[in-house]
Amino acid sequence: MLAKLCKKAFPRSLWVYHCNSGACNGCDIEILNILTPYYDVERFGIKLVGSPRHADVMLLSGAVTRPTLPLVKKAYEAIPAPKLVFGIGSCAVGGGCWFDTYNVTGGAATAVPVNYYVPGCPPRPEAIIYGVALALGLVDKKAAPVELKQVEFPIDAYERNKAWEERNVIYELLKH
Amino acid sequence: MNAVEVARKLKEEFGAAVRATDSPSPDRLFIDVERAVLRPVSNRIAALGGRYIVSIGYDEIARNGTLGLVHTFAFDADHWAAAVRTSAPASDPLFDSITPDIPNAGWSEREYMDLLGMKFVGHPKPKRLILADDWPEGVHPLRKEVPYNLVPPAAEDVAYRLDEAPEGTAVIPIGPFHSSLHEPEHFAVYVDGETIKGCDYRGFMTHRGIEKLCQTQVSYNEVPFVAERICGICGSVHATTYAQAVEAAAGIRISRRAEYIRTVILEIERLHSHLLWLGVAGHLIGFDTVFMQAWRVRERIMWLSERITGNRKTYGMVVIGGVRRDITPEIAKEIEEVLAGVEKETLVLKKSIIGDTSIHRRTKGVGVISKEESVRWSLVGPVARARGIDIDVRRDHPYAAYDDMTFDVPVVTSEDVWGTLVVRVLEIFEAIKILRQALRNMPSDGPLLAEVGEALPPLRHAFSLVEAPRGEAAHYVITGEENRPERWRVRAPSYPNLQAVPLMLLGDQFADFPIILGSIDPCFSCTDRVAVIDARTGRRRVLGRQELENISRRGKG
Repeated sequence: MLAKLCKKAFPRSLWVYHCNSGACNGCDIEILNILTPYYDVERFGIKLVGSPRHADVMLLSGAVTRPTLPLVKKAYEAIPAPKLVFGIGSCAVGGGCWFDTYNVTGGAATAVPVNYYVPGCPPRPEAIIYGVALALGLVDKKAAPVELKQVEFPIDAYERNKAWEERNVIYELLKH
Repeated sequence: MNAVEVARKLKEEFGAAVRATDSPSPDRLFIDVERAVLRPVSNRIAALGGRYIVSIGYDEIARNGTLGLVHTFAFDADHWAAAVRTSAPASDPLFDSITPDIPNAGWSEREYMDLLGMKFVGHPKPKRLILADDWPEGVHPLRKEVPYNLVPPAAEDVAYRLDEAPEGTAVIPIGPFHSSLHEPEHFAVYVDGETIKGCDYRGFMTHRGIEKLCQTQVSYNEVPFVAERICGICGSVHATTYAQAVEAAAGIRISRRAEYIRTVILEIERLHSHLLWLGVAGHLIGFDTVFMQAWRVRERIMWLSERITGNRKTYGMVVIGGVRRDITPEIAKEIEEVLAGVEKETLVLKKSIIGDTSIHRRTKGVGVISKEESVRWSLVGPVARARGIDIDVRRDHPYAAYDDMTFDVPVVTSEDVWGTLVVRVLEIFEAIKILRQALRNMPSDGPLLAEVGEALPPLRHAFSLVEAPRGEAAHYVITGEENRPERWRVRAPSYPNLQAVPLMLLGDQFADFPIILGSIDPCFSCTDRVAVIDARTGRRRVLGRQELENISRRGKG
């Protein structure tokens, strides 16, 4: 449904605002990389803009740190509706390997409502383009979200094996 | 002057105040001093030719009730480095600030005011640096009793107090989100008309608490993978620096082949980083053709690094004791092919840049800082080499297989952004030269991973230096008892260079701000961890965020 809405709301060029909320540069470089000749997303009308006021889409990269949390919210509010938010990279998906440290508040979803996630550390430029194409309804989704929970140490052998089996079940599900 | 002479000299001059000296290897000297002589000893070492690297603070409260502080210095011409260690009781954590004499220590000292609760007497700017503005006073996250995931409640309306603006100037806020910055950092630039008269910096917004995380949660061999993610550009630089520091502390010797592979990885990273910077610099001065072309050339290196490491970002290669993946003859052949292509295309790029008058006009005489000031501010990397300072860790403190390589260190004396550009373009060709030598001379046998004993000896100090593409990276490691470092301090090359940016900005046009900042290739995520130069001391005035917004809306102060 969201794809239909996207098609309707963004029929032509997507203007993208890139917001780094505490990333390591890895994802930011890949975002810039999709603008350069080899990937060249400008052929799809996708353009990077400097101000959130001009943008349709917000690309959030990085875990949201404590100082940037209010600022990310402000930048999001400055984008005129309708708008889409992409979380780019593992840190934006769930906070990355530092998701619970003292200065990190978590993934992009702690600050703003996120429509699409592109995981990876860093995600390949192809993956980012695929994510945008998915949002526009040009391609089909290939993966489903998997919720993992942190278990207490030491891990019980039975539980571990069970988790491993279930993980394989999830992989099987994804194949179909 | 070598380490033995300096140790003898300090003992003669300061007597019993120099408690002990220790030299675990010929290129390292640890000097334990009384707290009272910390400043004079540091000054003496700087006067003898020591280049200040970084300070390290650590928590020893559980062991003996003290907080430790280390200042490190490098003697580049004589190929060794010194660390001055001292400590103070946690109940009275007062140290003499060395910032008035060695301005680059300013951030390190402010960092430990925030993170460890140390106090520095005579610090010119004892303001908050790292922690968020709404972080409560008196909670110091690097202290052992504070859990790594402590999150004090957020407070509203707590804003950083910017420095007072010089009289007759308006404030232009840049950031945290700004199109010329790719990372969230806040600069307040004080301008008189179009001329920059000063600058205040509030950064450290991408501080993720990595040091604390790695000291409390993960084990020795997991740290390199977190270290790679400090920065998305110089990933394996940080992993290598960390691994070398731990290897030095524990006395692990890695095979020559592993050292060669590390060299290859580091140089591939340098190639991609230099081309990346060249593109960004072009973009910042509005010359997007350079941006597109440089990144097009760079793309082949990204595919190459994916071929070698499995990730486009040279991740997951370096661990303690060696490397994880081999460079097979087939991959070596591919590297050679890519190098030939990159060299050819970079030559074209170089020709078009060197001959382009608009680049000359935008970069020559911009961001000037004299050689004397650069030495005083302990600048590193291409920024220093563009100011006539002949330092390069690869040559001065050889690590990995660099002692086998012959290469030139390009140094120019133009003291501006143009010089930085020239140095970095020339270094691309040097990197290609080193890569070819490394591939040719690489020994064909030897284990990739050395045997590492079950437990590493605890409480050993070591530090290592690595030349990252944008300057010198330094890591200081104190080994711990629970299979993880007790203290791990990361200093990225942007850390010293960024502190001198206000000085470079002074007197320049506001329109040149992006390229001056861009010329040091600031990596805020590495650094997060500027001082301020007041042009004229104006009337006392402190701007709040609201006031700042009003001023920026009205357009003048």
